[in-house]
Amino acid sequence: MTPDDNSALIRLNGISKHYQMGSQLVRALDGISVEIGNGDWVSFIGSSGSGKSTILNILGCLDRPTDGEYYLNGVYVEDLGPNQLAEIRNREIGFIFQSFNLLPRATALGNVMQPLVYSRIGYRRRKDMAREALRRVGLDDRVDHLPNQLSGGQRQRVAIARALVTEPSILLADEPTGNLDSRTSADIMQLFDQLHREGQTLVLVTHEEDVAGLGDRVIELLDGKIIRDRRAGEPLH
Amino acid sequence: MLYVIFESTRSALISIFAHGLRSFLTTLGIVIGVASVIAVVSLTQGMSAFIGESFSSLGSNSLTIQSYTPISEAMRGVRARVTPADLELIERRAEGVASITPILYASRTSQVRYEAQTTFSQIMGTTYAYGDVSQSYMLLGRFIAESDNLTRRRVAVIGEKVREDLALPENPVNEYVELGGEWFKIIGLLEPKGDIMGFNQDDIVLVPYATMVSLQGNQARTDIQIQLSLSEEADVEDVTRQLTALLRNAHDLGPEDDDDFVINTAEQLMETFDTIINMVTLVIGGIVSISLLVGGIGIMNIMLVSVTERTREIGICKAIGAKRHHILAQFLIEAMLLSLLGGLVGLALGYGLGTAISSSIDSFPPASIPLWAVGLALGFSGFVGVLFGILPAAKAANLDPIDALRYE
Ligand SMILES: Nc1ncnc2c1ncn2[C@@H]1O[C@H](COP(=O)(O)OP(=O)(O)OP(=O)(O)O)[C@@H](O)[C@H]1O
Ligand SMILES: [Mg+2]
Repeated sequence: MTPDDNSALIRLNGISKHYQMGSQLVRALDGISVEIGNGDWVSFIGSSGSGKSTILNILGCLDRPTDGEYYLNGVYVEDLGPNQLAEIRNREIGFIFQSFNLLPRATALGNVMQPLVYSRIGYRRRKDMAREALRRVGLDDRVDHLPNQLSGGQRQRVAIARALVTEPSILLADEPTGNLDSRTSADIMQLFDQLHREGQTLVLVTHEEDVAGLGDRVIELLDGKIIRDRRAGEPLH
Repeated sequence: MLYVIFESTRSALISIFAHGLRSFLTTLGIVIGVASVIAVVSLTQGMSAFIGESFSSLGSNSLTIQSYTPISEAMRGVRARVTPADLELIERRAEGVASITPILYASRTSQVRYEAQTTFSQIMGTTYAYGDVSQSYMLLGRFIAESDNLTRRRVAVIGEKVREDLALPENPVNEYVELGGEWFKIIGLLEPKGDIMGFNQDDIVLVPYATMVSLQGNQARTDIQIQLSLSEEADVEDVTRQLTALLRNAHDLGPEDDDDFVINTAEQLMETFDTIINMVTLVIGGIVSISLLVGGIGIMNIMLVSVTERTREIGICKAIGAKRHHILAQFLIEAMLLSLLGGLVGLALGYGLGTAISSSIDSFPPASIPLWAVGLALGFSGFVGVLFGILPAAKAANLDPIDALRYE
């Protein structure tokens, strides 16, 4: 397969991730092939242990597959070294975690500024960009708060601002509402919807059908395999 | 790169001060190490500067000849001596000598009495030439004259310390003191010279050499000291060689015999002191580097703990784009700053300690730290930080992002 098809932002071809646990081989992912286009909103759904986080970590260049090909923006990711991967994570990818993963000793503003440190942007500009990102997620009045002075929903907004601030080509979210109550979850999902309408490519992992249903496309995993790839809103059975 | 250093320094300082107590305890080893180096260096440096000054006042081109009995000879009951005959010989034969004087120390007692007061002092028999040779000047009265020696007069010149100890009047001239059961009239008071290494140069009583000889009884086996000063154009080495040859000959020493006398110059004495001080500095420096080493290991230990504690944070940073060198620089700079801060605190503490010690001991010269010691202390503590920070920093930088993020 050649990376000449420019409409695909992400192209996975036969991706597998195997773990050798003693004598047992765990197939966390088993031959995943999928294409995600620019501006898509794709949700991975599946039961616990089906491989959702694993696929997202590979998409986010945090983890490497045991087998298969991954093209991101036409770049063959497997050829890249650790520093080039770091650069891709910095420029192309915004990662949002279930447990927020904010730096505990930095303020909201500091957390959002941090990725810009790694792209060598000066302090003043960094601060302006981070403020702007916090404004986009509706947190401009909490910039000087530490993570432990913020509610769960506010923390996740900071994390989203941090993911957005580098203007990544793709936003990856692993159960972003998993630690939030339903009211706050709805707010966060509304924020994702807004970002999607602004043209942001989104890949979301969830195990809740109604969360997945907000996107364009739902990919269902079971035991590391794709068992269904459908448009959102299509009936399940 | 400069940018990385700047950013890392900032976050390192935040993290150091976030764990204030822990950072302080971690650097305690470095603090103590640097403080003791600086205290010792500041004291010895102050001392050596002071000794330099003192010796230049001692008469820089003077020589002292003393008898010297090797231990092996002493065990056989042989005592080396420098005799009045040697003095005569040198006076007659040696070239380049400006003035020369014998010194005979009181051998029976060194007790001095004035009215009800008694004290012990260094009592020396000498001649008018002593004034020149030792560069002693009169504060009041006159020095021992040639005629005092010829007529064996019972007169004495005293130092300021003796005058104080005996509660003599401000002007002690014409008062009488008792030395070894005989009365001596004070004819002069010496200008005070101060201390050298705790030896008070003003604790001194000078009497005519001939008077001292007669007081000691007819001891044919007198052992004297000879002090002489060199004429302007004479070379210390030359004169020393000449005197050695003269005395070896006079003492009937064979080619394989050792000298039974020593010739000291004031400069030699000063060099000896300097050597001792440098050696002390070096030995203590060695001991202290061990404490810096221990301090470094303490820093390495706490940095390793810190890397483990912050594994998840490192994972987060990697997930948002930190490269190896970002993480490496952050931890390395943190270790170095920790150590450097310890060095700075130690520097201040050590200087304070040195000053406190030197000012609490009366005759001790003021402490002084040379710039090289400051540079060395800070450079060394920074180096210790980097050296012992490398392992933890590399451990952090090499963490796999996904493993680090999963770390509980
Ligand atoms: N480091 C690892 N070592 C061994 N097995 C692993 C490792 N990481 C994941 N797995 C296995 O891979 C499979 C998929 O894990 P993954 O975390 O992707 O599941 P998930 O779909 O995200 O589940 P959940 O909804 O509970 O988060 C699981 O069976 C898990 O046990
Ligand atoms: Mg998961």
